[in-house]
Amino acid sequence: MKKLMIALASATVLLASSALAQEKLKIGAAPYGLNAEFMQIWSAALEEHPAVKSGEVELTVFDGRYDALVQQEQFNTMITQKFNAIIFVPIDIEAGATAVQAASDAGIPVVGSNTRVNSDLLASYVGSDDTISGYMEAKAVLDKIGCKGNVVIIEGPIGQSAQISRLEGNQKALAECPDVKVLEQQTANWSRAEAQTLMENWLTAHPGQINGVIGQNDEMALGAVEAIKSAGLKTEDFAIAGIDGITDALTAVKEGTITSILQDARAQAQGALDLAIFHAKKGDYKPQSDIWAQYPDMPFNDGKDKEYNVPWTPVTSDNVDKLLDMRK
Amino acid sequence: MSSAENNTASSWLNSDRRKLILQEYGIFLAFLLLVGILALSNEFFLTPGNISNVLLQTSINGILAIGMTFVILTRGIDLSVGSVVALAGMVSASFVTSSATAGIAGAPYPMVVALAVGILVGVACGGLVGFIVSRFSVPAFVATLGMLSAARGATLIYGGGKPVPGLSPEFRWIGTGNILGIPMPVILLALVFGISWWVLTRTRFGRYIYAVGGNPHAAKTSGLNVTRIRFMVYVISGALSGLAGMILSARTGSALPQAGIAYELDAIAAVVIGGTSLSGGVGRVTGTLIGALIIGVMNNGLDLMGIQSYYQQVLKGALIVGAVMLDQKRNQGL
Repeated sequence: MKKLMIALASATVLLASSALAQEKLKIGAAPYGLNAEFMQIWSAALEEHPAVKSGEVELTVFDGRYDALVQQEQFNTMITQKFNAIIFVPIDIEAGATAVQAASDAGIPVVGSNTRVNSDLLASYVGSDDTISGYMEAKAVLDKIGCKGNVVIIEGPIGQSAQISRLEGNQKALAECPDVKVLEQQTANWSRAEAQTLMENWLTAHPGQINGVIGQNDEMALGAVEAIKSAGLKTEDFAIAGIDGITDALTAVKEGTITSILQDARAQAQGALDLAIFHAKKGDYKPQSDIWAQYPDMPFNDGKDKEYNVPWTPVTSDNVDKLLDMRK
Repeated sequence: MSSAENNTASSWLNSDRRKLILQEYGIFLAFLLLVGILALSNEFFLTPGNISNVLLQTSINGILAIGMTFVILTRGIDLSVGSVVALAGMVSASFVTSSATAGIAGAPYPMVVALAVGILVGVACGGLVGFIVSRFSVPAFVATLGMLSAARGATLIYGGGKPVPGLSPEFRWIGTGNILGIPMPVILLALVFGISWWVLTRTRFGRYIYAVGGNPHAAKTSGLNVTRIRFMVYVISGALSGLAGMILSARTGSALPQAGIAYELDAIAAVVIGGTSLSGGVGRVTGTLIGALIIGVMNNGLDLMGIQSYYQQVLKGALIVGAVMLDQKRNQGL
């Protein structure tokens, strides 16, 4: 009986210690804000990652509410609660650096995703190069108008990293078509309603002269479409492009009104989570997401890379139905 | 200014009637001046197409600002209009969408159903705020600040944070259609303006609103149901926010969860530029309409001239403060 008691007791101790070793990894995700569709797809993709579903990782998503200070405070929370790794999508390229520094001081690896932060302390970064999408969308517009005529550019909030890089890409494509004139270039702050007003006014200021619309995101391209329609003009007479591949834009591509360049939120999210687990486990981990198989051009490379560039996918009539199905 | 000039000025302004005329037409003259300057500096400004654009772009803010006028006349404020715009736009859209995932069961319903739902959502939000302000004496600033946050959250919950696309053409007509070439939103603004003007100047309820704002204590002692009048102005503002929300989603073709952010500020700006006093009891819905037109004309004119929108914000700021400074001067009898 006494032996049995000892055996039981030691078994309990063993079980307890093995449970300790099996403790879940605590990983925090800090996206800049959850109000727009792109970041919702992004955070939903995290929840669907195999490691989260199997219970290996306990994931907490913090809504940054579009405020750099809120994000910084969320980092402090994660540091006090001893998270094992953090996935960071900063609202601001500069302000995010302080948060990364604090986590790094506490020995917590930070993996960037989607937007950039001006810090060399990131363990790794998974995103898409905005200059490439800016180039791709402008090229699509210019090809459609035959490299001549007039275009307008509807920009994101001036100074945001995506606006800067996408404009750089726009300009690179425009430089290849010296005969094309940029009639107007202004910000509509990623907003559909603002872009609609802007385009209505431009159509008045340049009657019959605008051939192409380069919208730095889909929302603004769609705003331009509405302005063109409400002015009684035909969208077929304009080359219009946007970026991101939001659901409304996919529908518009299907109808043939715009061109969109899909930014793969799912790949950015799941790729970043694989790298976060990899760094939390100090390299003792094989990636579990299927995105690495989906993009052979972006190999996991034993987690050694500082930067992973998720390729952009032009949305065409060929792939739009499949993409729309994935959103359901 | 010499004292002699000062005397002539004040004798000209001696009667209250004249003062009132100046008060009414001062803002109108400023508006005409702005239109004149823009017409001279841009050839397209006075074209029929552009006039239609300006009116169209003013319609949503105009409707919100008229609702705001009712509230401000009673010494209140409604910070929740932008969020109510989003909530009403999203809920009503879910009744007329052809999207299988974003709509409620049985959608698309006829436009009338969605219209009723949108107005009801606005009335419910306004009613709740009005109830809290009038019954519990919570400052309007606080109650509507709460609603600003709550209605935005409710919008995100209701739509799961996603837009509601694919609105029926019938519903979109209220944003994109026209009657005899006049865009629907402009017709709706004209209707809202006409009815509000009539209510405020020709009905007993309108006079009571001025009385409550002018001197709530006196209004109460003279037997007015101050609680009910306070309640009603928020219901009106809520209903008009609901209407504006539907026009917005009908115009953009999709109800967006981030729609209407900071719309309350433009609405308040229009009211203030239009000469309605934030301390209540003084103001006109005509002034508000002109205030909204001034903002609309300024944004449109600067866009036509290709001037960065950042300048528009600076100018709007100067205009708001300038209008109130003039107002204060006038109140002190110049």
